[in-house]
Amino acid sequence: VAVPLHDPALPRRDAAARAHLEEVARRAAPLVRAGERVLAVGGELGALIPGGGLRRGSVVGVDGGPGAGATSLALRLAASATDAGEWAAFVDPPGTLGGLAAAEAGVSLDRFAVVRGVPRERWAVVVAALLDGVALVVAGVPDGRAGVRPADARRLVARARERGSVLVVQGAWPAEAALRLRAGGGAWSGLGDGAGVLDARELRVEVEGRGVAARVREGAVSAGTRRAG
Amino acid sequence: MAERTLCLWCPDWPVVAARARGDVPAGAPVAVLDRGLVLAASAEARAEAVTIGLRRREAEARCPGLEVIDADPAGDARAFEPVARAIEEITPRLVLDRPGLLAFPTRGPSRYHGGDEALATRVVEVARDAGAPGARAGVADSAFAARLAARQGDGTVVAPGSTAAFLAPWSVGSLGDPDLADLLARLGLRTLGAFAGLPPSAVLARFGSEGLAAHRLACGEEPHPAALTVPPPELVESMELDPPADRVDAAAFAGKALADRLLDRLADHGLACTQVLVEAETEFGEHHARRWRHEGALTAAALAERVRWQLEGWLTAAGGLSGGLTLLRLVPDQVMPAHGRQLGFWGGDAAAADRAARVLARVQGMLGPDAVVTGVSQGGRSPAERLRWVPWGEPREPRPLQPLDPVAGPVAVERPSWPGAIPGPAPARLFDPPLPAELCDAHGRAVVVTARGEASAAPVALRCAALPTGGGRVDGWAGPWAQDVRWWDRRSRARRTYWQVTVGSTACLVCVTRGAAVVEALYD
Repeated sequence: VAVPLHDPALPRRDAAARAHLEEVARRAAPLVRAGERVLAVGGELGALIPGGGLRRGSVVGVDGGPGAGATSLALRLAASATDAGEWAAFVDPPGTLGGLAAAEAGVSLDRFAVVRGVPRERWAVVVAALLDGVALVVAGVPDGRAGVRPADARRLVARARERGSVLVVQGAWPAEAALRLRAGGGAWSGLGDGAGVLDARELRVEVEGRGVAARVREGAVSAGTRRAG
Repeated sequence: MAERTLCLWCPDWPVVAARARGDVPAGAPVAVLDRGLVLAASAEARAEAVTIGLRRREAEARCPGLEVIDADPAGDARAFEPVARAIEEITPRLVLDRPGLLAFPTRGPSRYHGGDEALATRVVEVARDAGAPGARAGVADSAFAARLAARQGDGTVVAPGSTAAFLAPWSVGSLGDPDLADLLARLGLRTLGAFAGLPPSAVLARFGSEGLAAHRLACGEEPHPAALTVPPPELVESMELDPPADRVDAAAFAGKALADRLLDRLADHGLACTQVLVEAETEFGEHHARRWRHEGALTAAALAERVRWQLEGWLTAAGGLSGGLTLLRLVPDQVMPAHGRQLGFWGGDAAAADRAARVLARVQGMLGPDAVVTGVSQGGRSPAERLRWVPWGEPREPRPLQPLDPVAGPVAVERPSWPGAIPGPAPARLFDPPLPAELCDAHGRAVVVTARGEASAAPVALRCAALPTGGGRVDGWAGPWAQDVRWWDRRSRARRTYWQVTVGSTACLVCVTRGAAVVEALYD
């Protein structure tokens, strides 16, 4: 009886077989891996953020004084959601957000809602409602000494985790945050003494993560000029 | 090959139905609104240039004394039922599209009545007697062409085989898909003839299955080739009603559940439904059936709506059913393979949009409709003018008007440039009202602008309470950009000048009006 030298039914160990096995394993893998549950942030800001993006279900704090560039940073983060085809919302209690700046930061305006005129006592309820259905919510902390109550803040952290939405808080945040970004201003270029036009700035950003990414990273992000593409 | 079809069209049926109900006086200009946009208008209103798709405010501005009523599709369906019943005497193979529009194949009835022309005349006579005074009929080789024939004029009969030639001069806007029409017009394909000249495979590759369906319409064929002539019997969904339903809401509730079940079952088979037969039996054994169709595939909401319209017609129109309904049955009459959901070219997930729409509506309920807005960029000079905030739920763009006349395509909109616009990046914070400030020269005097738009002196210091250190020495500045705003209106006219100023690492936009400076925006 002639035994075939290479029985096709026997397991093979060549490269093609391995590639085939990996393909099958990939298809059988859980639908969403932890690493895929991330809204990728592009550009120089993405290079500063640990993991290159915002993990869904996490809270991000963005801080900085007036004119220091915190709003621009928050808008860059909002662009990461609309780039992924998701929706973003901006809770803006003073009602001063410039929508054109959002468009220039890369946010697509048809998937970007702004909520204005939120009274302080309903702020937490509105943000919690938005976290239910919007992938990324930028929430400006209402003015005044009181800020956000710690109990409200903890409840919002839990809500974001449960819904898998990203909460970006602009202002003082009295609870945990997976990531804190601090805008530190930066000199503007393009403007002379009575000449030129405002062009761009090198925005200093401090990024502080938690856990493995606990060390503070500093870097500069060019802001102001229209993002390429 | 498409079937030769007669289409009966009652122009502005919502207006006719509202007048028949006595909601509006005869002879007055009337517009019927659906979600803030004009859905139909009476001849008097049309004479004042009220067109379909106009917003309410604009329609009222064009036609003072316009009577505006809300759309009532169920009432329209009820009013159309006698017309449908009268046409049913001529042919049983009647298919309703929406109240005011129905079609049927002409093969049998045409021979009986002695030709298409005679049949069209007879159908219009019957419809006018049954309460549709402005009804028009058109005959062509496909349902779409027959509808355009009816629109062109009453009794238009397109000779067999010449449907493609009849369709050729019509504008692509008549396909009923404004986005596709706009795209085709920009590609230089302004008429159905030009669009039909493309090879179908190229259309499929570029525009997807929806584009291919539109292409088939333009060629004078049915939009979807029927996959199965007789759908398998297990797809029929029926429900026995016990106790018999004699109220519309009870029957419609059953109809909604039935519609959901039918579409779920079809989806399991990978099928979509374009035409459905609604059947009902009463407690006295009467049997009624009526066909409804829809452009494209029927969604659950569209199917449930049509079932409800039909039940309205049966249960409330005079001379309808003798008793309550005991059995309701939905039979898919024409099915086609479902091509699945086409995602937007630039991403965007329909499920994500649904979720977002739900929560945004909820937040609107908490804070009021104007609290949730989305931005639309537009022309303008100051940063605040260059973006318009639209309350959530209102149309972001006014719906483009599609001219219905042959050949005239949609007009390309180009955005003019704005002399005097502030260049550079857009500021992230705009203050309304603006923050009071002082812009001073080296001698501490306020910087003003001469009538010729020249600065009195170079600005040296900016003081404003909202800036980090209350302002300070000006490090860099540019301007002034002088704008003479609304010079034609004495009351709202303003001469203002803008300066871009940096103080330390803070950049802001300062506006000077009549010698008073304000910080209007912050580049945050």
